[in-house]
Amino acid sequence: MRAAARGRDVLFFQQVLNGLTIGCVYALVALGLTLVYGILRIPNFAHGALYTVGAYAAFALIGRLGANFWLALAGAAAVSAGLAVLSERLVFARLRAAPPLHDMIAAIALLLFFEAGVQAVFGAGFFRIAPLFPQILRFAGLTAPAQRILIVGAAFALMAGLHLFLDRTWTGATIVASAQNRTGAALVGIDADRVSMLTFAISGALAAVAAVLFAPIALLSPAMGELVITKAFVIIILGGMGSVAGAIAGGLVIGFAESFGAFYVSTDFKDIIAFGLLTLILSVRPQGLFGRIAR
Amino acid sequence: MLTLDEVCLDYGAFRALDRLSLAAAEGALVVLLGANGAGKSSIFRAVSGLHRLAAGRISLGGRDLAGVSPAGVVRAGLVHCPEGRMLFPAMTVEKNVRLGAYVHRRDRAGVKRGLDEVMAMFPVLAEKRHQPAGSLSGGQQQMVALGRALMGRPKVLLLDEPSLGLAPLVVRQMFDAVAAVNRRGTTVLLAEQNAHAALGIASHAYVVEGGRIVLDGPPDALRNDDRVRRAYLGG
Ligand SMILES: Nc1ncnc2c1ncn2[C@@H]1O[C@H](COP(=O)(O)OP(=O)(O)OP(=O)(O)O)[C@@H](O)[C@H]1O
Ligand SMILES: [Mg+2]
Repeated sequence: MRAAARGRDVLFFQQVLNGLTIGCVYALVALGLTLVYGILRIPNFAHGALYTVGAYAAFALIGRLGANFWLALAGAAAVSAGLAVLSERLVFARLRAAPPLHDMIAAIALLLFFEAGVQAVFGAGFFRIAPLFPQILRFAGLTAPAQRILIVGAAFALMAGLHLFLDRTWTGATIVASAQNRTGAALVGIDADRVSMLTFAISGALAAVAAVLFAPIALLSPAMGELVITKAFVIIILGGMGSVAGAIAGGLVIGFAESFGAFYVSTDFKDIIAFGLLTLILSVRPQGLFGRIAR
Repeated sequence: MLTLDEVCLDYGAFRALDRLSLAAAEGALVVLLGANGAGKSSIFRAVSGLHRLAAGRISLGGRDLAGVSPAGVVRAGLVHCPEGRMLFPAMTVEKNVRLGAYVHRRDRAGVKRGLDEVMAMFPVLAEKRHQPAGSLSGGQQQMVALGRALMGRPKVLLLDEPSLGLAPLVVRQMFDAVAAVNRRGTTVLLAEQNAHAALGIASHAYVVEGGRIVLDGPPDALRNDDRVRRAYLGG
């Protein structure tokens, strides 16, 4: 009897850890998406491709240039941030006066463009990045893969850093101010172009970090970003478009729902849980779980 | 200090300002009177770079403002306190005011001093400094907007209907504050429908109608003008 109860606890802990891991990955991706939406009102579908490109950039840095994991992580963040800024400058900045539908079409086109680019360079096959810490940690009879602990720790550190940046620095304040009132921001002397570029850069870097951290657990493929970005949209709708806290909470909610759903219901349902929750929550609270930082 | 020369401004096919010229000398307090839709806010949007000119020239202290971004205009020493206040509603009162000093952010001591001055000018803001600006009353929000604008250390300040929707007592307080700012050397352009109060502190006034200046002169002359009395002073 006691052994069975013990086994249940261990399995429960496993699901918590799985939920936390995937929830952190979702939250990092959703954060960038919600920042870009909150400030520029752009539904950036190409954000999923920034995730993919980040993972492949790290894969190439490790496999072809022999970089270590941390260097690859930083390099991937820089590549995705750079691509994000380029898409902002070359595409979205030029569509500022155009109807919102144009942004959406351009974003989808960028997504397909980046995916095709990845496939052209790396092929359509699957790849894997070796975990930084392959060990299994044991503590009080519980076991946890070290890579998952790394993901959770790094994600929370990043989220705390982002919060401090937005809350405590002048540059961070320019982002929050622009989300709350663009005209007001312009009138105190905040340069709208700089804010756009910065926001895109942050969103790209966060997506790449999420992808690289998660890559040792998942697999790399050119379409790997599609399911993640779809869920990130679910998350920011749930959390309230533009809400930073909502993106984090929403990411964790979806992560836990998937992990426990897969375990107690069926793995086959894992990927539709997010969409089921979306339908359910929006029918009760059409404004999402949180307000948003924007108006 | 500030001159507009034959300025035209279009919203799509609609011409909101039609070859409009005006000037504000250094240290002046210039009032723009005009009914709803006359073009007062459009004048300010043109000056602060929020809206591109269709034609004409604007110069600030001899410098041409054509093509200068709103941020560039602030750096050049002109701050626009807009209609509708345009605050950051979820940020605290203090942060809103502090952000007004964005272009002076490297001068930490100066920012702190400016913040203290604004809080001393409007003690009610000091009480509410940690509340979200969006939770304040209309009058208090107007004080935040003026405080934020002053943090930009304007040489020229554009104030768009700061008394709109405020109780008479608060209007008095607002106009006193504007007059005080002007006495300390800031050139002020004030768009107002509250002609009595505005002419009381003005050094010069313009009447705007249909995107043009139809009349201008010292406040006393306008007060005694029949058209002004009928339209803006209630008979
Ligand atoms: N964004 C816009 N698009 C189209 N027309 C506009 C726009 N903004 C203002 N207008 C028009 O331009 C004219 C001048 O507007 P403006 O806001 O400058 O008037 P105002 O004198 O400030 O009026 P109020 O006292 O009501 O604030 C009005 O006829 C208005 O309808
Ligand atoms: Mg107006």
